[in-house]
Amino acid sequence: MRMQSMIPMKQVTLKDLLQFEKRPLSIFMVLLTVGLLGLFATGAILYLMHGHHAYNVTREHPWGLLIAMYVFFVVSSTGLCIVSSLGHVFGIKEFEVISKRAILGAIVTIVSGFAVIALEIGHPIRMVIYNILTPGFTSAIWWMGTLYGAYLAFIIFEFIFLLRDDHKWSKFFGLGGLLVGIAAHSNLGAVFGFLVARPISNGVFYPIYFILSAMITGSYLLFILYGYKYRLNFPKPIEMMLKKLAKVLGLLLGILIFFEVWRMMTAIYGGMPGRADAAWHILTSPNFLIGEVLLGMLIPFIIILKSKGEAIKALVFASLSGMVGIFFMRYDLVHDTQLIPLQTLKIREYQLPPSFVEYMPSFAEIAIALGGVGLAILLYFLADKLFVLDSTKE
Amino acid sequence: MDVQISRRRFLQGSVALTILGASSLTGSALLDEGTKDKVGDGVRKSVPTLCEMCVNKCAAYARVENGKVVKLDPNPHFPKSKNMLCPRGNAGIQALYDPDRLKYPLIRVGERGSGKFRRASWDEAFEYIEKRLVKILDEEKDNRSTIAYCAGEGMAEHTFKSFMADKFGSTNFVSHASICLQTTISGYALTIGGYGQADLENAEYVIMAGANRAEAIVTPDTMDLFKRTKRRGMKLVVIDPRFTNTAVHADRWIPIKVGTDLAFVLAMTYVVMTENLYNKKFVEENFNGFEAYRDHILKNNYTPEWAEKITGIDADTIRTVAREFMAHAPKAIYYQGRRTAWSRQDFQLRRAQAIFTALGGGIDREGGIIFGKKLPLGEHSINAPLYANPKSRIDKKEAAIVGGSGTWIGFRNMIVENRTPYPIRGMFVYKQNPMLSVPNTQKTRQMFEKMDLVVVIDTMPSDTAMMADVILPECTYLEREDPVRSFGGAQPSIVLRQKVIDPMYETKPVIEIIRGLAEKISKPLFEITKKYDEDVQMEIEDRGEEAVYKEDGFDLADAFRVSQEEINEHRVVSIYGKEAYEMLKAKGVFYPNMEQYFKQISTNEYEYYPKDKRYYSVIKGELKVDVHDTCIDEKEIAVMKKRFRTRSGKVECVLPSMAKRGVDPMPTWRDELYTETPKGKFKLITGRHAQFTQNATQNNAMLLDLIPTNYLWINKRVAKAKGIDFGDWVEVSSKIGTIKIRAYPTEKIGPDTLFFIHGFGANSDALTLAHHNGASDNAIIEDVIEPVFGSAAMHETIVDVRKV
Amino acid sequence: MALDYKSCINCKACETACKEENGVLLGADKHRIWVGVKEIEGEFPLLNIASNTFYPSQCQHCDNAPCQEVCPTQATYYDENGVVRVDSDKCILCSYCMNACPYDARYVDDRTDTVDKCNFCSDTRLVRGEVTTACQATCLTKVRIFGDLDDPESEISKVLREREHFTLKTHLGTKPKLFYLI
Ligand SMILES: Nc1nc2c(c(=O)[nH]1)N[C@H]1C(S)=C(S)[C@@H](COP(=O)(O)OP(=O)(O)OC[C@H]3O[C@@H](n4cnc5c(=O)[nH]c(N)nc54)[C@H](O)[C@@H]3O)O[C@H]1N2
Ligand SMILES: Nc1nc2c(c(=O)[nH]1)N[C@H]1C(S)=C(S)[C@@H](COP(=O)(O)OP(=O)(O)OC[C@H]3O[C@@H](n4cnc5c(=O)[nH]c(N)nc54)[C@H](O)[C@@H]3O)O[C@H]1N2
Ligand code: SF4
Ligand code: SF4
Ligand code: SF4
Ligand code: SF4
Ligand code: SF4
Ligand SMILES: [Mo]
Repeated sequence: MRMQSMIPMKQVTLKDLLQFEKRPLSIFMVLLTVGLLGLFATGAILYLMHGHHAYNVTREHPWGLLIAMYVFFVVSSTGLCIVSSLGHVFGIKEFEVISKRAILGAIVTIVSGFAVIALEIGHPIRMVIYNILTPGFTSAIWWMGTLYGAYLAFIIFEFIFLLRDDHKWSKFFGLGGLLVGIAAHSNLGAVFGFLVARPISNGVFYPIYFILSAMITGSYLLFILYGYKYRLNFPKPIEMMLKKLAKVLGLLLGILIFFEVWRMMTAIYGGMPGRADAAWHILTSPNFLIGEVLLGMLIPFIIILKSKGEAIKALVFASLSGMVGIFFMRYDLVHDTQLIPLQTLKIREYQLPPSFVEYMPSFAEIAIALGGVGLAILLYFLADKLFVLDSTKE
Repeated sequence: MDVQISRRRFLQGSVALTILGASSLTGSALLDEGTKDKVGDGVRKSVPTLCEMCVNKCAAYARVENGKVVKLDPNPHFPKSKNMLCPRGNAGIQALYDPDRLKYPLIRVGERGSGKFRRASWDEAFEYIEKRLVKILDEEKDNRSTIAYCAGEGMAEHTFKSFMADKFGSTNFVSHASICLQTTISGYALTIGGYGQADLENAEYVIMAGANRAEAIVTPDTMDLFKRTKRRGMKLVVIDPRFTNTAVHADRWIPIKVGTDLAFVLAMTYVVMTENLYNKKFVEENFNGFEAYRDHILKNNYTPEWAEKITGIDADTIRTVAREFMAHAPKAIYYQGRRTAWSRQDFQLRRAQAIFTALGGGIDREGGIIFGKKLPLGEHSINAPLYANPKSRIDKKEAAIVGGSGTWIGFRNMIVENRTPYPIRGMFVYKQNPMLSVPNTQKTRQMFEKMDLVVVIDTMPSDTAMMADVILPECTYLEREDPVRSFGGAQPSIVLRQKVIDPMYETKPVIEIIRGLAEKISKPLFEITKKYDEDVQMEIEDRGEEAVYKEDGFDLADAFRVSQEEINEHRVVSIYGKEAYEMLKAKGVFYPNMEQYFKQISTNEYEYYPKDKRYYSVIKGELKVDVHDTCIDEKEIAVMKKRFRTRSGKVECVLPSMAKRGVDPMPTWRDELYTETPKGKFKLITGRHAQFTQNATQNNAMLLDLIPTNYLWINKRVAKAKGIDFGDWVEVSSKIGTIKIRAYPTEKIGPDTLFFIHGFGANSDALTLAHHNGASDNAIIEDVIEPVFGSAAMHETIVDVRKV
Repeated sequence: MALDYKSCINCKACETACKEENGVLLGADKHRIWVGVKEIEGEFPLLNIASNTFYPSQCQHCDNAPCQEVCPTQATYYDENGVVRVDSDKCILCSYCMNACPYDARYVDDRTDTVDKCNFCSDTRLVRGEVTTACQATCLTKVRIFGDLDDPESEISKVLREREHFTLKTHLGTKPKLFYLI
């Protein structure tokens, strides 16, 4: 096959693709994936039938779960990209082993993110057309979309050259992907940061916060990927790598926690209307306290601290917790931005004056969001079958 | 028999309108009116018309595109509506295209009130009515008054009324007056000779008590009052137990205990009398019985301290307001009020108010209560037959003075309580919804249940329509031309409602409904008259049946064979000429010199009449002071001696004739007529909202979008004590019933008062949106009657509330 | 547009007129124009009248419009009159502008699934040659003055010269063109 000469692939048949080890965990994973994909399809059908009515987004809360999910995916992707680049771009030895799997993860997550956002945006096809015909250069979303598009192209090439063991070109595209990815990523920060109307979201903190949390996400994901791959029986180089990664992760988490404390402090004591009250509201919400702080930061952080970064098996599970936390981080980012209503006066006789805006995702939104995870697993699973992902050294 | 004499006399004076032309309907030429231009391949035109989403009749342009009304815009030419269309006026399109509209005549098939009807042709419907009428009138020996009729306010109300009264011959009419403004109108008329019009455009001090002009929209008052009011420096005192949207604009809001306004006015009068603040010259020239009134006020000791205990308003506030009022007089008005069906003491309250304003001299002058001028319209008379057998109306004794518009509660209760001198066996209902608009719905239902024939002419399947045997669908106001109308005031004008589009479905304007019905019943009913009416029998012997039938007006359809368009044309052309009529059709409005006078001053201002051409003072009188002397005190102008349209020609402080009817000749506070609110209970009050018209808009999708349902106003702290939160369901119960409604705890109402907007809570399931939406106040408002003019006293009901 | 907002009686004629004129769908959050009310302060009977003002509002047609700035496809644009408008053919419904507009002026039109807002009746009345907006024309107390800000002789320019006024959320730098007259 021509393709194969360009992109090294394993010889697989359709049957091979559908085969998997008949172990409980794998069976569970397969069922889970099929279930999630089913949800994705249901959500997508609901969306196609009812358009935005299928979602619980409103005038007051125009961005919902799907935006959060999209952010979750793209940040995951950038995170994986950054972590992978530690090895083959920056040449940190221990991390070289992870390149292919991480880049694949980056591709898979961003593709899933695109799939989710395509179902969130009202007119995705129109978007492609007018993004080019009448580009809005002042729009952070335009930049983000365009840059992430370029980023995807870069990392796909990077992946191909990695597969071909062409280190020169993979390094080139890797570096390009990294730079574009980081640019895209900071634009994601800008998407929120430019919302002058939303004091809680704007501030210098955002771009750094995004990079930081992206790296943490990437690390979590690697723990999970390798944990699953080796069923916790890590070969030596992987173990070495993970232990090192654990230390880096610990450091990053420490910085994040430090940042987070300051973010809240400045917000609350900054005295800016629409900011302090929002911050206080966030600070007392279970999403933040249990989701973000406990699951997303404290559990992994404590495990790393306690074991001095040695307990990598425990960290695999802590990373699962961490990813749930990261999800809440994204969800809260989107939700909290819209927490304070822009309309602070009541506009109908019989209503209470607007207070914090509430939002509960609809079934279709939840289905698509979870389905996005299914999509990511499926793509990853297929890729695992098609490509040689582990470096020959193993 | 004196009937005969009066018939002769009547015949001499009456001109049959049919002379104008017995021709059938001429196709109306109105479709050529207004502007026209192309839209796509269709036509866009703009037709001047009048709004009838409420009583105000604002001038509008209807934009029609390809036969569909797409927009209603204000028509600036009408001095009364001053270039505006309120939310309901804008939502008129929704009434026109309401899918729940009545579309065809309907005949009842189920039990009365069951809501089961079958579609019928107009002919079938008329035949059904004819059969019942023949049977009833035969049994009642042609006593036409056994068939009663009622009507809500409207441009075509008169057409219906003149058919029922003048042609059909019933005396039993109940209009909206006794559930609206009867008592005030009469109170003012007896005191200063007319209800008048408050010149809010020029007044400097206005006390507005229980009138909510920001939400109960009355033109031009609403616009005059709020349009840059503050900037022109008018002072507004709002007296209302609730903090209304009018109060938002007040300089002073005074919450008063419900039903105690009379004590407040009397105490202010006391202040004015003791401090000699009144306009002495005006009083001297124009008052009748002033001394007696002053003695009465002083003798009864109506001090502010006395009133404080009753009204809850502190004595100092009463003093201050009285002094401020007189300091601004004569450009100071105690606003008359509109829906004044409140309490048992309403009549005396309105008298006291009128006298109070008059004490400042602010009557028949700029900035006061003015009577204005009304432009006359050509004669339109009907050849009315005279019947020997109809008896006089049943409710004469239900109140001290019951006029031609009746007393709804009195009338209904007599029927329900079997107190009528003769049976009321049928009722024609036009544009009214008494099931929801008259206190005590249960009794209204019982009344309808007792009848043998109920005919309802409506546009919607209202709760009252559900009680009918026959429902006759009228087209909406946008689908018909109505009688041309003249509106008086300082800047009088004549306005015309023109048909904007042809009637939809099988609906017809009331004049055509009556024409059809009259053609059907005329002859058969004449047979009955012939049978029981000796006068008619004699006349027939004299002149022959055909002649009596035709000439004496027994042909009930004769007055309605001419089209409304022709009648209107005749009434305008006969006085103002052809050109005026053309102008009226083109602009929707006409008044002499309009082309010259009417001009736009700025985006938001128009001038209708130059200031010196307006009719502020119209009552003839002799001038005692030289007004041309510019040094003269403003107040002195009021010194003109006038002849008011009262019995003595003066402001009547004392009405000795009333004493004979058991009514106090001078405004007197009566403790026994005041309903105390027991501790822990509440007085229920009712009223309006800017986005709703009584019951007429309850199914209007556009308006429901703005105000989806009604809520119970309850004081926040009281609600808290009862564990009631915003939106909770509560039960409000009075002696006569219980309703369920959501709660709106607010500080805008006092702890012993409850309120919710009138007009919700329909029962008719043919109204998709209105059905069981919100609560109907008249399900729990007791049928208390105001004893002088028989109005409903709607704020006398004590209720309890609990969370459910 | 200038608003003599103290004359407003919260009747919502403007909202109905706008909906009828511009075919805005019904629904709680579907509106181009609204009146905000601050709940009155105080306890019955001592209420603070001044605390209860009506604030009629709509799109501010900002000179420096965040909604326009953030639009990825330039679906939101300034037309030749400086009116901020949405081209529904280009709008991808990313909802970014809804989040960016500090005045809550935007909502989703369910027929086209695009964002909609007040456009000074540009595509309805103005295009037919009418000189004013539906909300201005219908208002009972004549709150609005609509006109050309660039023409120093226009009524609105004169009024703004003569009378004190303020704009909403001025500190955000959006340069609103809805002026509230004091
Ligand atoms: N939007 C709108 N406008 C309308 C109408 C409509 O249905 N909707 N209807 C039209 C008609 S038919 C009429 S008659 C007029 C009615 O016009 P209004 O008479 O001004 O209207 P209501 O709302 O009935 O006003 C009653 C007010 O009196 C207050 N009130 C109750 N009890 C007392 C009391 O004891 N003392 C004092 N001082 N105040 C009291 C109530 O709180 C309420 O605010 O409105 C006309 N305009
Ligand atoms: N509790 C309580 N009761 C009240 C009041 C209150 O404030 N509270 N207000 C009182 C006052 S002020 C008044 S004026 C009365 C009003 O009371 P009504 O005169 O009964 O007026 P509505 O209740 O609006 O009902 C009007 C009916 O006319 C119909 N209709 C509308 N347009 C047309 C038309 O063009 N042709 C025909 N044939 N029918 C039409 C409507 O569908 C509706 O059924 O209510 C009084 N009753
Ligand atoms: S006040 Fe409103 S509803 Fe009444 S006639 Fe005028 S526009 Fe129509
Ligand atoms: S129409 Fe005028 S008075 Fe009514 S709510 Fe709108 S701005 Fe206020
Ligand atoms: S008010 Fe909002 S929608 Fe209007 S121009 Fe300004 S930012 Fe844009
Ligand atoms: S929703 Fe439409 S108008 Fe708004 S920013 Fe996105 S593309 Fe532009
Ligand atoms: S200017 Fe036109 S589009 Fe804007 S709010 Fe007014 S009526 Fe609606
Ligand atoms: Mo009324």
